[in-house]
Amino acid sequence: MNNQAIVPWEVDELTHEFFVPEYIVTMAHEVLKSYTFQVKSMQVVTTKPDKGGAIWKLETNSGPKSFKLLHRRITRSMFSLGAQKYLVEVQGARVPGIVKTKNGQEFVEAGEKLWFVAEWIEPLVPVTKDLEGAKQLCYALGEFHRLSKGYTPPSQAEVASRLTKWPKSYEKIMIKMDWFRNIAKAYEEMPASPHLLGVVDQFQEQARKSIEQIHQSSYWSLVEKGNQNWGLVHQDYGWSNGQMGPKGMWIIDLDGVAYDLPIRDLRKLISGTMADLYKWDVTWVREMIKAYHGANPITPELYELLMIDFSLPNEFYKNIKEVLYEPELFLNEITTQLITTIVDTDQTKWPVLKEIQNDWRK
Amino acid sequence: MKVLMVCTEKLPVPPVLGGAIQTYISGTLPHLRAFHNITVIGISDPSLPDKETKDGIEYVRVPGKVFDLYQEEIVRFVKNNHFDLIHIFNRPRLVMPVRSVAPLSKISLSMHNDMFNVDKINPVDAKAVLEEVSNIVTISDYVGNVIRTLYPEASSKIRTIYSGVDTERFLPKYHSKMRVIRDDLRKKHGLENKTVILFAGRLSVNKGVDRLIRALPQLSRKFKDLALVVVGSKWFSQNEITDYVAYIRALAKRQPIPVVATGFVSPDEIQNWFGAADLFVCTSLWQEPLARVHYEAMAAGLPIVTTARGGNAEVIRQRENGLVVDNPEDPSCFAEKITEILSNKSLLKRMGERGRELAVTNFEWKRVADEILDVWKQAIQMQHTPLPSIDRNEIEPRVEVGKEEISKENKGLQGVDPNNRKNKEKQSDKKKQREKEKQSDKKKQREEEKQREKEKQREKEKKHEEEKQREKEKKREEEKQREKEKKREKEKQREEEK
Repeated sequence: MNNQAIVPWEVDELTHEFFVPEYIVTMAHEVLKSYTFQVKSMQVVTTKPDKGGAIWKLETNSGPKSFKLLHRRITRSMFSLGAQKYLVEVQGARVPGIVKTKNGQEFVEAGEKLWFVAEWIEPLVPVTKDLEGAKQLCYALGEFHRLSKGYTPPSQAEVASRLTKWPKSYEKIMIKMDWFRNIAKAYEEMPASPHLLGVVDQFQEQARKSIEQIHQSSYWSLVEKGNQNWGLVHQDYGWSNGQMGPKGMWIIDLDGVAYDLPIRDLRKLISGTMADLYKWDVTWVREMIKAYHGANPITPELYELLMIDFSLPNEFYKNIKEVLYEPELFLNEITTQLITTIVDTDQTKWPVLKEIQNDWRK
Repeated sequence: MKVLMVCTEKLPVPPVLGGAIQTYISGTLPHLRAFHNITVIGISDPSLPDKETKDGIEYVRVPGKVFDLYQEEIVRFVKNNHFDLIHIFNRPRLVMPVRSVAPLSKISLSMHNDMFNVDKINPVDAKAVLEEVSNIVTISDYVGNVIRTLYPEASSKIRTIYSGVDTERFLPKYHSKMRVIRDDLRKKHGLENKTVILFAGRLSVNKGVDRLIRALPQLSRKFKDLALVVVGSKWFSQNEITDYVAYIRALAKRQPIPVVATGFVSPDEIQNWFGAADLFVCTSLWQEPLARVHYEAMAAGLPIVTTARGGNAEVIRQRENGLVVDNPEDPSCFAEKITEILSNKSLLKRMGERGRELAVTNFEWKRVADEILDVWKQAIQMQHTPLPSIDRNEIEPRVEVGKEEISKENKGLQGVDPNNRKNKEKQSDKKKQREKEKQSDKKKQREEEKQREKEKQREKEKKHEEEKQREKEKKREEEKQREKEKKREKEKQREEEK
């Protein structure tokens, strides 16, 4: 097999939405020869040109499949594939099963990347965008976390763990606030710069407090329980990677799973949902946490960490980070508006956190 | 004697992909091979054969990248080949597995960074390693002192051997071989008539080049002909650029003086950029073991401005070959030191010359090799340190703070020797039974000891963390204060102007 290394590719106005370079397409066809099924049609459904990844939907004589070129390091991808296999085969979780090659392998190596085929689950329907839907998502997430406990990666895989990295990632957020400030100063004539400069201090202060709190929390004693005790976070869980399907909620796209305190997924799901609502809603937050708790119980210590993780300026950081890449484009009027929205939403966060902070005591 | 040098699982030797450890090994080999029969084992690379004998040195290259796999390969190789001395580079965790298959070889260890920290190797394993090796070579006093602080008992085994540089390759700008290269390179990048400040290193938060870029507005007010050259990869990469690279790129775009980013420069051409520069600045913010660039800058006859972090300042003689920035967090501290050198042409010249002189007299590869030979000689003369009386098969995987890899290593240990004598012995033997009981007691004791150690270390770490936190707080406070004062100053000035 031609084994040219797969590298990220450029997309521009000349390439269509799902463009994949010819050599990768050729390689894909070669890879598919390792499987017993016959491919009737093949269609690109997602690409990650900036990382060098792609997903195809296959119609085959044994039903629809998804066919993935994973962009991560081979040893990293092995960790995720091992997890998917464990969840399906050992735990019976509702995640797509991996289709084996003619030689009984879970994957094929080509172009210095891993490729694999999984079942295409049909039908999959997104949950309704209301509190009921949110609760379904949370319960499914809890279930996923509970079932992922006890996973041991195969020996060739690297161990992907974020478990011990929380304080570092908090620090990073705090440091990057300096960067935002320095960029806004360097591009001070841009419309959004004064607005950014006007609020960055307050968000940096929030980050500083979160760091202080995590050091005072039971974080390190939780960490000590170890990777396998906690299980895996999905890292990209939301309204599209958790969907209703045959026999219940299914969780898809497991390529980024890593060991971690599971509530990080829950925090992301909740804070992201609140951003979509443009305000923090105490009922939603409570109900979502409760729904999750029903599937994967949250201890008071974990709850404390969830609260601390909420206290970070997550949305500000996530949305403003782009300023580092193209400040001359980003610091426009739209960003001024964005900053206002983030600040407004943030102001509704604190009363909610205060109200629920003692929910798990007693 | 027969010597095996064991490289790390990250990069191949020779340093076709760069790497400080790889450079260190390759730099010393031409001298070492004259005295001993040397085998070098490291990871494979598509551009290099898996086995070759070159210049009298045997190279063995095995699959690597993932530590556990690499360890298995190393163990397999050592098991099948005898060596009088095994010199392991920067992987303390390889020592015990290697020892288990080479009971009679002397083992020495080179430390290039903080791999003895508790998050890298747990204290019980670390102690066993320190006991097992004949000596430990560190690339700076800083690296040695960190080990000493954690494990005072190892103190007498630790010795600093500073790294070296090829002074024939890194040449000063006035050298006949460099002059043309310098002029060409400067012309090509529009740097004629410029005073060129050089940074060479990874573009990462730790390496801190952003502080230098942020010092440029202040510097450009004083010096009209300045330019900054940043040698480091990823600057131009469209894909996979990090937030940090995006950040410094965005800052650089706004500078009043030219900032030339070279992108990736292959290790065998890097000397040209040193030859094209006038001043070298290292901006490291982290506790850096001691960056190679210092030797290279000295050899190239460049005055150095570096930071008081880790071992970097150990090769700087203040005002002789460079200056040290005490607070590298603050860009204006760089501006201050750089100004001090650039505003005094004779100092600039003198420092460069002194640097070259130091490189030639103290930092040649031959000196490094001689010191290694000396260490090997000592190791061979040393009494054999017997293995501690523990049955290694009993060491159980333990999971600790983020140490899944360590528990894996223990798995590796267990798997090292399936024919382990102990396993073969008949368990029915009463003596053995008693022995076993004793062992299990010992095991318990060890477990307890481990627990205690762990707690102690955690205490230490916690204290350290707290201290760090306090320091940060203090700094922040100070900075705030300074800011306030500056503001007040300004206001005052404005008032006065009015």
